[in-house]
Parts: sequence; structure tokens; C-alpha cells
Amino acid sequence: MIDEPRRLPQRLETDPESVERDLFKLVLTVIELIRQLMEKQALRRVDEGDLTDEQVEGLGLGLMHLEQAMDELKSRYGLTTADLNIDLGPLGSLLSE
Amino acid sequence: MTQEVAERRTEPGGQISLVDLLDRLLGTGVVLAGDVVISLSGVDLVQVRLHALITTVRAEMVGMVGTGRAGEGER
Amino acid sequence: MSETGRYMYAISRGIDPTALDATRGLDDGKLAVVEHRGLSAVVSDVDLAEFGEDGLRRNLEDLGWLERVARGHDTVVQAVAQLGPAAPLRLATICLDDDAVRARLDEWYDGLTAALDRVEGRREWSVKAFAPVRAAAERPAATTASGAGAAYLQRKRTETLDRQQAEQQALELAESVHARLSSRSVASRRLQPQDPKLSGFEGTMTLNGAYLVGVEEEAEFAAVAEALAAEHPEARLVIHGPWPPYSFATLEQT
Repeated sequence: MIDEPRRLPQRLETDPESVERDLFKLVLTVIELIRQLMEKQALRRVDEGDLTDEQVEGLGLGLMHLEQAMDELKSRYGLTTADLNIDLGPLGSLLSE
Repeated sequence: MTQEVAERRTEPGGQISLVDLLDRLLGTGVVLAGDVVISLSGVDLVQVRLHALITTVRAEMVGMVGTGRAGEGER
Repeated sequence: MSETGRYMYAISRGIDPTALDATRGLDDGKLAVVEHRGLSAVVSDVDLAEFGEDGLRRNLEDLGWLERVARGHDTVVQAVAQLGPAAPLRLATICLDDDAVRARLDEWYDGLTAALDRVEGRREWSVKAFAPVRAAAERPAATTASGAGAAYLQRKRTETLDRQQAEQQALELAESVHARLSSRSVASRRLQPQDPKLSGFEGTMTLNGAYLVGVEEEAEFAAVAEALAAEHPEARLVIHGPWPPYSFATLEQT
């Protein structure tokens, strides 16, 4: 009953000067998405209860380092997670945080 | 009293915001797509289909849950 | 060869066409009123290269074009609403000529009459609600202590649950605000939530409500809305109005 909303492509209007920053933002967006999906999946696997304590610890440490690395990258370009977020329509926002 | 209240809440200049207008005039609202078009100097060059990327990854995730259990050797 | 069509802005009844002389349509076009069976269609000429099927398909993707046309359309609708009940039409409703306009009025006669009856003496109010903006979660100091990995996962699990609970609460609050406001209006609709990048508001929009309120009831409606806003500051209610009844006059809503 509700029609599909009209989707406007987002244009990354770059000029030679800002190309680096704009492309970096796009790359960070994709990496952040993957990182969040990995965390969700890791939590699911841990909840399934079939991982050893060592595996759980290893997963957690790896993800923790990933988060720290992302924080570092974002701060280098003065970006917040909100800056990276993109609306996917029916799939909701790209990033959950 | 009616007039006073009505005017106080109207946007400055009495203008409806563009998004609100488009919601109503298009009937369906307008959203920014999950796709990104990268342009250089006004020329569209590359379209990155994030929508497709997400769908693919999520389908794979669904497939992963319930497989790859430790010790079963499935990759 | 430049063909033109008739762009239709709104339908009204009983209005004096000369009262629209001071208002211009899109592309600075002169407004005309096409009358049929007591209904008045407010129209102007537009170039079919821009507004025909191909042109539209291209232009509807362009936010700059959309802005210009939406503003032009709204200018005319607001002018008509000053003169009589106005049933605004959707963007880019085009007929080839005045005969075609009359044929449409015929086709839509019952729906339009019902729409005009519905909106006469009433205006639209918009109330939006938002999920609370959550402060970024605390990051404990980096540590290499044993168990740090498991602790990290535990923290993430808790954050996820907290976030889901907060989302749920925000959605329920939006439902209840909408219900309260609906009970104070002749008709109501929930529109699609808006992308923060387009709306300029921070955070997820949980309610994009449109309410049809009689002119005499406006003060009361506004008071109820403002009381709700004060009661729930975390929802950051945004109240706008009165506007022409855009959300209640199109034929799909009859």
C-alpha cells in the first residue's frame, strides 16, 4: 500500500583536491560495515556455545583491535560513525550504530 | 488565540522544508539510495552498489550460521 | 519543436480565476483555471521536453530539479488554498491540453469532490518524533589482561541489547504520540521517516505524522502536541503547521 520511496543516488561530487578524502570516506564506510557485521556474527557464534574459551578470547581480542584501528582511522580524518552512515531503504541504515 | 498559536509553529518565513514538500508531492517520500555515484568535475564515473554488496554478504552470513561448527571441518 | 502540456497544480471549487493573476506557475508560466462540473483545475503550460515521460524520468532523479519544481508547485498550491478548498495534486501531473484536463476532472469527479469536502475548513499539521541520540558507548582503557577479548564481546552484547531496547521504546513512544494526535484530528497519516541527511535532523526519525485539523480546533491540537513535546523531551518532537492539506487530498487516500 505504501509505494516504494523515490531513491536518489548519493553523489560523491569530488574535485581533484577532495578526491582523497571523499574516496577515503567511502572506503571507511565499507570497512566499518564489514567490521560491524563481523561483530554481529561473532556474537551469534559465541551464543551458539560451540566455541572454546580460547576461540572466544581470540575472537574478542581480534574484534577489539579492529575497533581500535577503526577509531584511529576515523579520527585521522575527523569522521564519526554517523558521517559514514548511508540509508539503504528497506534494509534500514547501513550501519546500526 | 488560534492565529497566534498557528503562526508561532509555522516555520520562519512560512516555508515548508524541501523534504516535507517532496514527501507530500511525490507521495512516497524521497530517500538517499544505498548506492553512491562518484563524480569528478561534474562527470559521473563510478556507481558503487552498496545495496547489492550488503545483500550478498548477509545471504552468506545466513548460510554460515549452522555450518562451520568447530570440529566438523567444514569451511 | 517544443510541445507543451498542462501542468496541474491543484483542484478547487468556487474560486475567482482572476485572483490568481498575481501568481506565476513553473517556468514563470501564466496560471489558468479550467472549470468543469463545478470543479476548478489550476494549470499552466510546461515544456514536454522537460515534463514528458523521458524528461521526467531523468529529472526526477535530480534533487536540484525536484527542489525547483516542488517549490514552484507549492507556491501555486498555497495561493489556491487562500481562495478556497484546495486538493493539491502530486508532482508532475500533466495533461496534453484543456480537454484532457476536463476529461480527468470527469474521471476523478467523485474522488475529488470527496477530497474537497474532506479538506474544506481544515489544514495539515506535521509532527515528527525521533529516537533519542545515544552517547557513544564508553570505551574502557585498552588492556592486554587475560580475558580482555571475552570481556570485549560481553560489552558488545550488552550494548546491542541496550540499543535494541532503546529502539523498541522509541518506536512505542512514536506509536502512542501518533495515537494521541490522531484522536485530536479529523484524519491522520504516517509518512515515510526521513533520512537525516535530507531532513537535517539528527538521529532516526520514528514518527513522520500528518494530521488534518479543522481551523477552529488548531489551537487545541497545537496545545496537545506541545504538551506531548514537553512530556517527552527525549523524543524531540517537531511541530509544524498549518499547511495546505497535501497528505489528505490526493485521490489515493479516498
